[in-house]
Amino acid sequence: MREPRKVRRQTPRVGLNLTPMIDVVFQLLIYFLLATNFALGEQVFRMDLPERGGSTMMNDPFDIPEEPLRIKVLSIATERETLSVTLPPQYPRPGDLAELERFLAENRSGDTIGLFLADHPIQIVPSPETRWEHVVDVFNAVIRAGYRSVHFSDPEP
Amino acid sequence: MTRLHERGPAQIEANLTPMIDITFLLVVFFVVVSTISEVESVEMELPKPQPTASAPPPEQTRSVLNVLPDDDGEATGYRLNSVEYPLGPTGIGALRTALIPMLRNNPELRINLRADRRTTQKHIAPLLNAITEANTSSGNQTPARVNLVVVTRRNETE
Repeated sequence: MREPRKVRRQTPRVGLNLTPMIDVVFQLLIYFLLATNFALGEQVFRMDLPERGGSTMMNDPFDIPEEPLRIKVLSIATERETLSVTLPPQYPRPGDLAELERFLAENRSGDTIGLFLADHPIQIVPSPETRWEHVVDVFNAVIRAGYRSVHFSDPEP
Repeated sequence: MTRLHERGPAQIEANLTPMIDITFLLVVFFVVVSTISEVESVEMELPKPQPTASAPPPEQTRSVLNVLPDDDGEATGYRLNSVEYPLGPTGIGALRTALIPMLRNNPELRINLRADRRTTQKHIAPLLNAITEANTSSGNQTPARVNLVVVTRRNETE
């Protein structure tokens, strides 16, 4: 009698089907690629806020505090260039931001003798109704003129 | 049958493991970044001074303080990191209280101030005063550090 032939069975392959997972992961990837909003082009102006009264800023008790240069800012209209900038009465009134920047730069002590040192305290005094872009524009003009100690101040009552 | 063909024809399969690894890394990256962006970036029109003397944000620990705008850019409230505060003395007081431990734990903390270009100063000045007062109450001997956030384009910077 003929012996039955041995059937050779292969062990079944156990494998994880990764295709649906890859599909879902790619969907997530595309979603986040499209939905993510990077803060492109954002930059900053650094500013330190001194304590009111300046007690922590005075290292030497015999230092005479410098009188800050107060620049008053007022928005006249909603357009970008329509703002009024006023310096103390002994200085000429700048017509626009470019004139303010030029005045400050020309009077800064550097290579030439000027009215103000680069670390002379500059106070920007916006009125309550001044738009933030005008405040930042003035801050930018002062920084561009080469001053380092620029702060905001509330208007005098 | 030769020994070579004992196991049948050779199977060709792509090894997907590295691709899955990279894809997962990308997904995790975007999940984390989008969460940070949501906390930090409230949609608004930031000031855009031209030409600007602003600089890229420094690599320092920071908190983001948003002045929330309405459609006309006027303030409707404040948001420090992910917590919102109403306008007015109550909101400013709560904001100051929240800032004190943050500044005490990290005296070098910089606060990024984001405000719409059309927002008026009457809503921003109390914020700056609150930061100053919180810094004093936290016992810091250094002035409070603030970054005024503006928007610019790379080719417009100097």
